[in-house]
Amino acid sequence: MNDIKERLKELLEETGGRPMEHEIKGMLKDLGLQVPKGVFIPAGKRISRPRGLRFPLAVKAASPDIRSKSEARALRLGIRTEREFLHAAGELLKNVKGARGLLVEEMHEGGIEAIAGGFSDAQFGPVTMFGLGGFFVEVFRDVSFALAPTSRAEALKLASRIKGFNVLKGVRGRPAVDFDAMSRAIETVSRLIATGLIKEIDLNPVSLSPEGAVVLDAKIFV
Amino acid sequence: MKALDPLFKPRSIILVGASHTGIKLGGVVLKNLLKLRPGGVRVFPVNPKFRRLMGVRSYGTVGEIEDKADLAIIIRPAPEVPGILEQLKGRAGCAIVVSAGFAEAGRMDLQKTVQKTAREGGIRLVGPNCMGVHNNANGLDTFILPAGRLKRPRPGGVAVVTQSGAVLSLIFEAFSRPQSTVGSSITAHYGNAADIDESDIFEYLEDDGKTKAVICYIESVRDGRRFIKRARALARRKPLLILKAGKGAAGQAAAFSHTGRLAGSYEVFRAVLSQFGLLEAADFEDLADGAKALSLQKPVKGNRVFILTNGGGAGVLASDECAGQGFHEAKIPQQKIARFKRIFPPFYGPSNPFDLTAQVRDEDYLTVLEELKGDYDGFVIIALSAVRGITEALGGMLADFKKRTGKPMVFHTGRDAVGQRLSQTMEAAGVPAFDSPERAVRALRKLLIK
Repeated sequence: MNDIKERLKELLEETGGRPMEHEIKGMLKDLGLQVPKGVFIPAGKRISRPRGLRFPLAVKAASPDIRSKSEARALRLGIRTEREFLHAAGELLKNVKGARGLLVEEMHEGGIEAIAGGFSDAQFGPVTMFGLGGFFVEVFRDVSFALAPTSRAEALKLASRIKGFNVLKGVRGRPAVDFDAMSRAIETVSRLIATGLIKEIDLNPVSLSPEGAVVLDAKIFV
Repeated sequence: MKALDPLFKPRSIILVGASHTGIKLGGVVLKNLLKLRPGGVRVFPVNPKFRRLMGVRSYGTVGEIEDKADLAIIIRPAPEVPGILEQLKGRAGCAIVVSAGFAEAGRMDLQKTVQKTAREGGIRLVGPNCMGVHNNANGLDTFILPAGRLKRPRPGGVAVVTQSGAVLSLIFEAFSRPQSTVGSSITAHYGNAADIDESDIFEYLEDDGKTKAVICYIESVRDGRRFIKRARALARRKPLLILKAGKGAAGQAAAFSHTGRLAGSYEVFRAVLSQFGLLEAADFEDLADGAKALSLQKPVKGNRVFILTNGGGAGVLASDECAGQGFHEAKIPQQKIARFKRIFPPFYGPSNPFDLTAQVRDEDYLTVLEELKGDYDGFVIIALSAVRGITEALGGMLADFKKRTGKPMVFHTGRDAVGQRLSQTMEAAGVPAFDSPERAVRALRKLLIK
C-alpha cells in the first residue's frame, strides 16, 4: 500500500498535480500493470518515426488540459506507414492547442474494452468502478461499484456483477480474458483512489484479452 | 447499561412543551408518557402556564426540576430549542427534538447551534424534526400523533428505523391492518440526524432481545463507511432489510472523468449493499412484505426454489419473478417425475412449476411436498381458492408440513372467504401469505440467502 502511495505522490509532485497520460502510464507500469509500448516526443523536438515500435501505431497529442481525446480530436489510430505517421503527428501538433508533445504507442486491437476507475463518493469515500467500455458503458451504464481499496478477490466479484460479465468469460467461441490481470488492474486503481491523494482516476479503456489487461488510456484528477 | 438505554428505556423523562389537552401535541405525548408511571417511570412536564397538568405536578422551567432525567423531549418552536438544551445540561442524558424548522427548512445554522449545544452539554440528540421513539417492550411512546391518527402496531419482533415520518406512518398503517400478523419492537424516527442516526440505532438493536428483524428506510447517510460497518454487525445478528429512497440522483457533482459521471449516488449505495450481502427492499411494498416474512421466518442459506400451484398462469408469474430474483428453479429429479406420473392424473404437470390444475384436491399439495422436501431450499405455494378442491383443510396440512420441516415457505391465495381463512392459518403457522405470486416470490428472496 505504501509503495503505491509513495509512487503516486512522486508522480503528483513531479507533474504539479496535473500528470499527462504518458506520466500516469509510467507509474502504472512501475506498479505492475501492462501499458502499450510507446515513446513520448516532447513538442519542439524534431518528429521522426520512433524506433523499436511496430505498426500499426496510435498517436495522441499530450496535454494536461484535455479531458476527452476523441472530443478534442487529439488522437489518430491505426497508423500503418511512416508517411501516415508524419502527417498525423504534424496535424496533431498544429491543431491541438497547448499540446506538450506526442505519445506514440503500438496499437492493441481485438481485446474487449473495459473501464476501471475510482472516485470519491460523497457518502462512502473512495469507491472502485468497473464496466465494459466503449459506448456500451454510455448507453447501458452496465457498471458495478465496490468500496476501495478492493482486494484482488473482491475485484473479480466486482467484475462479475456487471450484466455483460459473460462477454469476459468468452462467448461465441472466444476464450475468456485474463481475469488475473484484470483483477490486478482493478485492485491497483482501487488502491490509488484509496490513498485519498486524488479525486478521480480513470483507466479507460483497458483492453482485456487472454494475454492480459493493457491500459490504453489513463487519466487522473486531483 | 447500554449507551442508548436512556433513550429507549428511560426511567425518568422531562417533557418541555407539555400541554393540558390531548388536542395539542404536547398533550398527546404527556398522556402517553403518564401511562409509564405505574411502571415506576418519573415524568416531569414543563409548561410556564400550569402548576399541574393531567393530574401531575408541572414545572415552569427546566431549571425548577431538582432531579436528573434520562430523557428529555422538546416540543417547542425551533428558535427556543438551543436555550432549552442549555438548561438541560447536566439534567438529561438524551434529548429528542421533535420541533421542525432546522436543516430541512433551510436553517442549517440553527441545527448546527443545537448540535453544538447538545454536544457541549453531553446530551445525545435525536432529531430535530422527528417523532422519536416507540418501544412496545415498555410502552414508551414519544410520538406526537394520537393513536386515532396513527395506529400503533401490536408488540412483535420487527424494529423500524426510519429517517422519514411519512414512511413511518405507512409502515405502522401496514402493520396495524386487521389481517396483519406483524408486530413491532422498537421504532425510531430520527429525522434530521443531527447526532443519533441509523448507525447508532443499529448498534443498539444488535442486543435488543425483543427485536428479531430490522427494517430501515434511508434517504441519505452521513458516514457511509460507518453505516456499512454497523449494518454488517447488525445483519450478522439478525436480518436487516433496507429501503433506500432517492434512486434517481444523477452522477456525482464533481465528475471530471467518465467514472465520475457514471457514479450515481444510488448506484453506489446499492452496489455497496450487495458487496456486503446486505438485503435491499425494492420499494415500500417490498419493505412491508419483507418485514412480514422476516417476522415469521428466519432466513437460511439456499437458492433452489420449487413452485407448487393449482393455476398455470399464477405459476408462470411466480416463475418469472423467480428468474428476476436470481433463484434457481431446479428441475424435479427424473425418478420422482415418474412416480408423480404414476400416482396423479395424466393432466397434472409434474415439473417446476408443478401445476395441480383446477382438478386439485388438498392432499395433492402434501403428496408433492413430502416427495420433494429434500430437493429444494424454499417453496412457493399457490392455492387459488376459487376452485372446489381447495378447502380450509389445506391450511392445516401445509401448517403441519411447515412445522415438521421448517423449510422457508411463502403462500399466495385468493381474497375470498376460503382464501382469507387459509391465509390466516398459514400466517399463524409462520408462512407469510400474499395477494400476488410475485410478491410471494419477492418475500421468499428475503428468507433465502444465496
